[in-house]
Order: sequence, then structure tokens, then C-alpha cells
Amino acid sequence: MLKIENLYASVAGKEILKGIDLDVKAGEIHAIMGPNGSGKSTLSNVIAGRDGYEITQGSVIYKGKELLEMSPEERAWEGVFLAFQYPVEIPGVNNTYLLKAGLNAKRKHMGLDELDAIDFMQIVKKKADLVELDHSFLSRSVNEGFSGGEKKRNEIFQMAVLEPDLALLDETDSGLDIDALRIVAGGVNKLRSPDRAVVLVTHYQRLLDYIEPDVVHVLADGQILKSGGKELALELEKRGYDWVLQEATA
Amino acid sequence: MNDQMNDHVHDRMSESATFTEQLQDRFVETQKSLPGAHESWVRVLRKSAMDQVVSQGMPNTRHEAWKYTDVKKYLDRLLADSVEMPSLNVSEEMLTAFSFDDLDSLRVVMIDGKVSQALSSLKNIPAGVRIESMADMFAKEPDVIEAYLHDQHVSGAFAALNNAMMSDGVYLEIPDGVVVEQPLHCLFLSASGDSASYHIKNLIVAGECSQVTVIEHYASIGESTAFINAGTDVELHAGGRLEHYKLQQSGSKEVNIGSIRVHQHRDSYYHSHSVAFGAALSRRDIHVEMNGEGAECALNGLYLVGGRQHVDHHTRIDHVRPNCRSRESYKGVIDGRARAVFNGKVVVHENADQTDSAQSNANLLLSDQAEIDTKPDLEIYADDVKCAHGATVGQLDMKQLFYLRSRGLSEDEARNVLMFAFADEVLTAIKVPQVRKYLERIAFEKLPHGAELDGLLG
Repeated sequence: MLKIENLYASVAGKEILKGIDLDVKAGEIHAIMGPNGSGKSTLSNVIAGRDGYEITQGSVIYKGKELLEMSPEERAWEGVFLAFQYPVEIPGVNNTYLLKAGLNAKRKHMGLDELDAIDFMQIVKKKADLVELDHSFLSRSVNEGFSGGEKKRNEIFQMAVLEPDLALLDETDSGLDIDALRIVAGGVNKLRSPDRAVVLVTHYQRLLDYIEPDVVHVLADGQILKSGGKELALELEKRGYDWVLQEATA
Repeated sequence: MNDQMNDHVHDRMSESATFTEQLQDRFVETQKSLPGAHESWVRVLRKSAMDQVVSQGMPNTRHEAWKYTDVKKYLDRLLADSVEMPSLNVSEEMLTAFSFDDLDSLRVVMIDGKVSQALSSLKNIPAGVRIESMADMFAKEPDVIEAYLHDQHVSGAFAALNNAMMSDGVYLEIPDGVVVEQPLHCLFLSASGDSASYHIKNLIVAGECSQVTVIEHYASIGESTAFINAGTDVELHAGGRLEHYKLQQSGSKEVNIGSIRVHQHRDSYYHSHSVAFGAALSRRDIHVEMNGEGAECALNGLYLVGGRQHVDHHTRIDHVRPNCRSRESYKGVIDGRARAVFNGKVVVHENADQTDSAQSNANLLLSDQAEIDTKPDLEIYADDVKCAHGATVGQLDMKQLFYLRSRGLSEDEARNVLMFAFADEVLTAIKVPQVRKYLERIAFEKLPHGAELDGLLG
């Protein structure tokens, strides 16, 4: 589903990603862990198409197409979704409007009819219940005045509505209490299917208690230093990252 | 070099003297036909106002208040004859474009500066409320309006010229304690293709604890090149409440200048919404004097301009008495080579303690050639006050833009949505839903990229 080869990216002349290789197959959940400043968020942002990153080398092939040549909206239409580490507040833009516009744009791209208002609202309400998001949030401005946990839940809610094929969760677990974490994880697990893939970018192991990954990667200093099964996450939790760094330089 | 400069200045001064002389000649010619000519106080008022125009001269960019707004090339229009008969026959159907859906309103229609009784509709006016043509008031009951007009000291040549030449407009009087449920829609339409000037004068007198909504709406049919110079005076007695909409939707060649002067008595509430979309050049001076304790005012504004349009808002709020509250929020979206000016002055007078005032002006510039000159201006002569002000100029937020696109909105759509959301914050303060919807539609159509608006407007 997603194949990243030898990806180099820099921000304002500073190299952040230094040759990333990653192969994510449909049906898999990958966790990317690593210390702060290792390039985890840069990787998510590059995949989602955010401005401000210069790709100096490499390729990101998604469903057989070069993702780096697509605009952010084309990536969304093709089924890529990024749950933001810091969801943006957009005063004056209604949450439901955003989802309706996004979903219908995607459907149009796929050659499907736009959903009518009633069908759409049914979907939206069902998905809101899934992440235990009060329906009053639907008519509020996007993320405006939401608490940290509400913002993260709103991301998962959007993901549930847009039903992406590739979901990238950028530190969605950070700052969540245990109840919110369970809700977020529930949303991700519901999305899980043989046709979809999930990439979890996280700093902590505890999210992986609720979402079982197929592969765990350690990203440090712009490179994937080690990959393994879910037991790698537990080891990282116990021993920290230093041993991986030492192992890599040894 | 110096001599040359002096010559140049001299030229401009003599030129402008010639112009005010011409203006005065025109005033002398027409004053006998202006309403109220039989009343001595009206004649005195007009004469002294004209004297002020002559001594002050018409504004030019060397005047601080007109530094960024150059009216010179339009002034000749003030010398043109006003249209005796509307050249276009305005029908009821033509007005639907300027009406607010199913809104049940009282309506006064003015065509080319004159009230049209035929097109106006004033049914079910509450007892004691008076809605009249100002021309009629001057002709038949000048003593009723004398108290509000006779000793006016206005600042600015256009306001003075308005007093000298005022011909017609709307008179609204609400007795104490009366609540007028239906908004009063005053539609000022330019329908003539000629260059002509209209000096519209409106007077609103709201009694104690009365309540009313007035929509002062300027629009045009066809290619009007009118020069509108309007003056609206508001007397808001103790506990009175006025929702005042000023919608400027003038034709692209028109000039629309005007002032709104508000006297607030104690515990009164004045809410102004000034929305400017049209005209080649428009300017509003809004002056609110809070003369009674406990008064409150809120000035909201939105300007959306493009092309080579010019829009200028000058506001002044005087906190004369203690315990008054003022809020001001103006927003602008400026595209093309358009230019916008905002100057918001708040004066807190001596002893006006417990003043609570906040002002903001936020602007979005959509092109490199668009320009905004914004200046908040605070003068505080009391000790115990809370005042805040701020102005921002910016482009669209790239983080918000990316967020929307990552959810599947195209770049153009995302831009439109953000611009609309920015502008709509002002329109959400509008309390009449039909008016809000009407303005949202126009605002959306004014935005570039022309995305679909269904859904966004809910």
C-alpha cells in the first residue's frame, strides 16, 4: 500500500529525514516510535503533503502512484488521512460542513454520487457515537474552543467519517487521559480491515496496549534504525531509546 | 525648487477655492427650492453650513482625516444638477433584488434622492410611531425636527455640505416605550444614469425604552455615477435600543459618502453594522457620543473590496460619562488594487471612569497590490478605565489552509471557505436572519474562485 524508498527531506535547509525506507502492506498497522526531534512528525507531514518540506531524494509510492506529485487534496481523495498532532482551530468553519465537503469531494473523485444531506447526517451521527463525541460538536466551528482531548477525538471522528485507506496518526495519543485513549484506540480498531493500513506515530508505548501493531519501527535522527514486532515496543518502554542508538552506531 | 513648490500649492488652493465658489453658486441657485426654505432656522442652518464648507474647503489628501482618501476627481459630480424625474421607471419587481426573502418589514424607498410613496410600504405601524419623508417634515412640520437639527455643529466638509443641501430622507420617531417589531428597511436606490449628487438626510429619534431596527440600504440599478452624500442623525433616549444596519451596495461607478451621528442618553444601546461591498469610493464617518451613564454601543463593520475600489471607515466613540461600554470590530478583505482605510478613534473624557472599551480591526490582503491603512486611536483623560485596541493585517493562515486541503477540500475551495469564515464573523452579529443571509450571499459571491456556497451557509 505504501512504499517509501530512500526518502530525504529538509526544512529550511536543515536535513530532517535522511534516507527512510518503509513498506506498509494493506491490513497492517505500523508503529513508528522514536525520541523527540527524530523526524516522526516530518515523515507524517511529508506523506500528507504539507508545504515547507523540501524532498531532496527518494520516493513515496502509494497504491502504485507517486504520492509526492499529488496535492494534499488529491492525496485525501486517494484515501490518505493524517490525524494531526496539533489539530488546527478554524473559527467560522462548521465541523459538519468540512466533513461533507471533504467526503463529497472524495466521492466525486471516486466517481460516486454526492451524499444527500439526510444520508450524510446519518453517517456523521453514527461515527460521532463511535468516538463518543457529543452531537453538539457537529455544529461547532472546527476545533474552536475544544479541549486537547476533544481535538484528538475530533480527528478520529473525521477519520471514521472519511474512511481512509491509509491513516497516519501523528502522536494522537499525546496528552490524552486513559478514557480518551481508549476511545481513540477503539476508533482506530474499528477502521482496521484487510484493505486498510494504519501508521501510528507515537512517543509512548501505552497506545500500543490498545492497538496491536504488526510492525514497530524506531526512528531516530532521520533514519529507521530498527524494526521489529510488537515486543520491540515493550522493550523500548523498558530500556528507552539509547540502546537502539548505540546498537546502530556500533 | 521652493518657488515651484509654492506655485504648485498655490495652484491647488486656488483651484479648490474656485470649486467651493462654484459649489456656493450652486447652493445659492438651489436653496429656494430646497425643503424648508420658508423657515428661517432652516435657512440659517443651511447658510452657516455652506459658510463652513467654503471656509474649510473640500477635503483633500493634505487633510489628516482624508490622507488616504482622494475624492478630488469625483467632486465635479457635486455640481451636476440633481435629476428632476427618475430616468428609469422603477417597478416593484425591480426591488426584489434588494429585499430580504420573507422578512416582514416596513419599507421606505427613495429613488434618486426622493422618497417614492408608491414603492414604499408602511402597513401596521405601531401607534404613535412616525415614518415620514424628511422633505415633508421640512415643509409641514419643521418645528418637530428643529430641536435635533438647528444648532448642529458638524465636523467635516461633507457633513456640512449635507446640512446645507439636504433635500430628502427618512424621518423616524418612536414614542417612549414602544417596540417596533418590524425592521424599517430604508432603500436608497440610484436609478439614473446621470452624474448627480444626492444629499440625503435621515433622522431617527428613539424615545425612552423604545426599540427598533433600521436598515439603511444603498444600492443602484443600472450604471449609476451618482455621488451620494448622506447624513443620518440618531437621538437615542434613555434606555432606547437601536439596531442600525448600513448596507452599501452601490454601483461600481458611484461615490457613497456619509456620516452617522449618534447621541446616546443613559442606559441606551446602539448597535451599528456597517457593511460595504460596492461603489468606486465609499466613506463612512460614524460618530457615537455616549452622553449618559450606562450607555452601550457596538460598532461592527465589514468591507469586501476588489478591483480599484476604495473604502474608508472613520469611527469615533466619545465616552463622555462614566460606566459606558463600547465594542468595535471591523474586518476587511481587500483584493486586486483596492484600498481600504480604517481609523477608529476612542476618546475617554475626564471623569468617564469605569469606561470599558475594546476595538479591533483585522484585514486580509488577497493581492500584492491591495492596500490597507489602519489606525486605532485612543485618547484617555480619565483614570479608571479599561481600553483595548488592536489591528492586524495578514494573509490566509497556511496551517488552516493545509488542514482543510488534507480533508479533501480543493485549494480554491479551502481559500474561499477561510475568507468567508473570516468575513462571516462580522455577519454572525447580525440579528435579523434574512438580512444576514442576504449579506452572506453577496459576500460569498464577491470572493474569488467562485466555489459553491450551498452547505457553507447552512
